[in-house]
Amino acid sequence: MLTSVTHVSARERIAHVVRRLGIGPHPDLLAGLTDPDSAVTRALDLSGHSPVPPAMPAPASLRASRPADIVPLIGWWVDQMRLPSRLIEERLVWFWHDHFATSLQKVRAPYLFRQQHVTVREHATASYADLLHAVAKDPAMLLFLDGITNTVDKSNENFGRECMELFTMGRDGGYTQADVVSASRSFTGWIVNLPELPSSARLSEAGIAPWTAAFLPRRHDDTTKTLLKHTGNFDLDSALDVILGDPSTGTFIATKLYRELVGSDPSTATARRLGANFARNYQIMPLVEAIVAEPAFTSDAAVRNRVRTPVEKLVGILQAGNVTTTGERAGVAAQALHTGDYLPFLPPNVGGFPSGTLLLGPHDLVTAFDLLDTLGGPPTPPPRVDDLLATFGIFDVSSSTRSVLDAESDPARRFALAAMSPEFAVT
Amino acid sequence: MTDLSRRDFLRRLGAGSVAVAASGYVLSTWAWAGPADAAAPQPGALGPTSPGRTLVVIELAGGNDGLNTVVPHADPAYHSLRPTLGVTNSIDLDGEIGLHPSLPQLAARYKAGQVAIVEGVGYSPPNLSHFESLATWWSAQRPTNLGWLGTYLDGTVGYDDPLAAIAVGPQPAPALLGQHSFATTIADATGLEPRLPVWAGGSDALLASWGHFAPARVDTSSLVGQVERAVGLTVKARARLDQVLGSSSSTGTTSNGRTAAAGSAAGYGQSTVVESLAVAAQLIRSPLAPRVVYITGVGDFDVHEGEAQRQPTLLSDLDQGIAGLFNDLGGAADGVMVMTTSEFGRRPTENGSGTDHGTANPHFLIGPAVKGGRYGEPPSLTKLDDTGNVTPTVDFRTLYATGLSWLGVQDTQAVLGGQFDPVPVVN
Repeated sequence: MLTSVTHVSARERIAHVVRRLGIGPHPDLLAGLTDPDSAVTRALDLSGHSPVPPAMPAPASLRASRPADIVPLIGWWVDQMRLPSRLIEERLVWFWHDHFATSLQKVRAPYLFRQQHVTVREHATASYADLLHAVAKDPAMLLFLDGITNTVDKSNENFGRECMELFTMGRDGGYTQADVVSASRSFTGWIVNLPELPSSARLSEAGIAPWTAAFLPRRHDDTTKTLLKHTGNFDLDSALDVILGDPSTGTFIATKLYRELVGSDPSTATARRLGANFARNYQIMPLVEAIVAEPAFTSDAAVRNRVRTPVEKLVGILQAGNVTTTGERAGVAAQALHTGDYLPFLPPNVGGFPSGTLLLGPHDLVTAFDLLDTLGGPPTPPPRVDDLLATFGIFDVSSSTRSVLDAESDPARRFALAAMSPEFAVT
Repeated sequence: MTDLSRRDFLRRLGAGSVAVAASGYVLSTWAWAGPADAAAPQPGALGPTSPGRTLVVIELAGGNDGLNTVVPHADPAYHSLRPTLGVTNSIDLDGEIGLHPSLPQLAARYKAGQVAIVEGVGYSPPNLSHFESLATWWSAQRPTNLGWLGTYLDGTVGYDDPLAAIAVGPQPAPALLGQHSFATTIADATGLEPRLPVWAGGSDALLASWGHFAPARVDTSSLVGQVERAVGLTVKARARLDQVLGSSSSTGTTSNGRTAAAGSAAGYGQSTVVESLAVAAQLIRSPLAPRVVYITGVGDFDVHEGEAQRQPTLLSDLDQGIAGLFNDLGGAADGVMVMTTSEFGRRPTENGSGTDHGTANPHFLIGPAVKGGRYGEPPSLTKLDDTGNVTPTVDFRTLYATGLSWLGVQDTQAVLGGQFDPVPVVN
C-alpha cells in the first residue's frame, strides 16, 4: 500500500507489467496498452529480431586487452534495453547476466565478454539447460572461476562450488562438500587458448582457435565419481545433467525468476510446482508465462515492491529523455553506472549485483543524481506534471511528491526531481 | 594473472579523477528484514553508551588466507601443507609465528605492543560457501537478516542518527543493517555530493527541493515510505558530511569539488582500503566522531589461483592503510580500535596456484589501548576435518564481544544472541 495512495490504478498496473517484463517504463508503449493482459502479450512477443552486438576485434593477448573497450558494448546494450525489439529478452538477458555473474575485473578481455553476451542472449529466452552447458564452457567463465586451472592433478573447487550454490541448486539444495569435490573433478580438463601462453601455437595447430575453449582429455579426471548419489565417470556435460536432474535446480531457478518478476518469494508449494514443471524441459518462456499467470504477479502487493536498480533507473531516464547511449554517449552511461557500482560486466562478486533495500542507502540515493548527466543536455519534458510523470511511467503519486513537482517551475529541473522522486526509486 | 582493481578499471575508462569502488562480497539476496522484529532492542536499551570511542571494522572480502597472513613458521606441518605457497620469509614475532613480509608496519606495531592477534577464529559448524559464511558473520549467527552492528545501533542511538555508523566503500555493509537505525555509506572522500549536470542549474536548490520528498511523518510500512524516510535521513547526513569532508555544493557542477575531495587523500596509495581508511581517519577526527566505521570492498581475497601474486598486494595495501589511519589519527588514535573480519580462511592444502575455501582465521585487534600479543589458540594443522580444514578454536562472536565492550556494551545477549566474553585485550 502506497503512502497517500489508496489503490493501484489501472494505468499503474499496466505500467507495472511493462516495468517487470522489460527494463524501464517504456512510456512510448504505455499509451497503446489498455489492460494488463495486452501489456503481457506485448511484452512477451518474440516476433521481433534478437539483436547482435557490434563486432569487436580480437586482441593480441589478454595483457594487451583494454578494459575500456567494454564501453561501446555497454552503450549498445543499454540502448537495446531502452528501445528493445523484444521486451522480455532484455529482462531475461539482464537476469541471466546477473545470475551467471562474471567480472571484467579478473577477466580483463572485453572481447570475451562480448562472446559471453552473445551466448547468454542466444539462450536467454530458450533453454536454461542449454544456457548452463554453454556458460560452463564459456571462455570468460572458465577464466573467472578458474576452470582452466582445474585439472586431474590439482582440482580447483571455485566453479564447482559456485555452480551448485549459485547457478543451479542453490545454497539449500542439499549437496555436500563431497558433491562439490565430485562436481569439480568432473569439470576438469577445460582450457582456453590464450594467445600469450606458450601452449597457444600448439593448440591453434590442433584446431583450437585463439580465445576459444576446448577439452583436453589428458587434463581430465577420467575416473568414477559419486555426485548427488549418482555414480559414474562424469565429465562436464554429464555432471551438469546430473545436477539438472536434481529437483532442487528447477525450484531454485523458478524461485529466483519469480522473485525477479513478482518482487517477492513464492510460497514453498508454488516454488515446487513451478520448479517441477520447469524441470521437465527447462524451457524458459513457459516458466515466464507460468509466473506471469500467477495472480500475485499483477496483485496490488507486487506493484512497486522492488527497489529500482541503477540500470533500471538509467534506462528509465533515457526513455523519458529519449536519448541514446550509442556512439559517444556510451562513455557517459558507463561512467554513471560505475559511480553507482552497477556497471554491467563488473558485478561486485560472483553472487551478482545487489538488490533490495540495501540500494536505499544515502550513497545510492545521491549517486542516482549522476544518472541525469547521461542526458547530455537539458531535457524538454511536457509542461503538465501528469504528462511528465507519464514519461517516467508513474501514474499513482503521493500528494507530497506532486506538491514538490508543482512547486518547481523550470521544466528541466522538474524532470530531474521526477527522476529523484520516491516513486521512481521503486518499481 | 593479476587482478585489475575496480578503481583502476574506472581510471581506464578515462575518468581518472573520480575515485570509486573496489570489489566486495555483498550478498545480493540480503534483504530488508521485513516487519518489525519484536526482538530488536529499543533506543537506549543497551545503556546510555556515549562511548567517545570508535570501532573500525575492516572486512576482508572473499576469505583471506590467514595461514599465509599469520604464518606458523615453526610448525613443520605448515611447510608440508604449503610446499609452493608457503611463506618462508615471514617477519618473526616470537619464534613460532610471523607476519607475511607484506605486513612490515603491522609487525612493527605488534612489536610496539599495540596489536592483538586472535588465532583460530571461526564458527561452528563451518560452511564453505561465501554467502552462507557472510550471512553468519553479518548476523552474528542469529536467525535474522539484521546485522550485528545494526542491532547495536538499534539499541543505542536508534532512529535518528544516520552518522553514528558509516560504511566506507563501494557497497553498504549488511552488518550495519538495523531494524530502526540507519547507517550511511559513502564510496570515498566525496561523501554524498552528487555530480549534477550543468543544466540542473546549481545543486543547492535542486537538493533542497529533493529534501521535500522527506515525509512529515515516517511510515515505513510501504517501500515508498521507506524511500521517503531514507531521503530524509540522507539530507540530514549530507549536510553534516559536507562540512566534514569539505565537499563543495555551491557550484553549478560539482565535478571539481569531487576531484578536490578525492584528492585530499593525496599522499596515500591508490588502493581502496588505503583511501577508505584515510576517509575513516578524517571522519573520526571530525566532530561527527562516528561510533562505528565499517570498511567494505577490501579484496578480492578469494585466491583460488595466483595466490603468490595476489595476496601480497592485498596485504601490502592493508598494511599501508592501517599505518596511514593511525598516522592520520594522531592523538585521536587512543579512542580507536581496529578489528579485521573475513568470512573464512582458506584450505591448508594448495590446489595448484591457490587455495580453496577454508574455515578458521587469525584476526587482528589494533590500537594504542590494545594490549598486544597472542590470544586464542592456533588450530591444529595435523588434525584436519573431513573437508581438509582446520577446526576453529575461538567463536567469532568473542571477537565481536570485544568490539562491543570497546563501545561500552558488556551484555551481548541482544546483539549476539548469547553472552560472549571479550578477548581480554583492554584493561
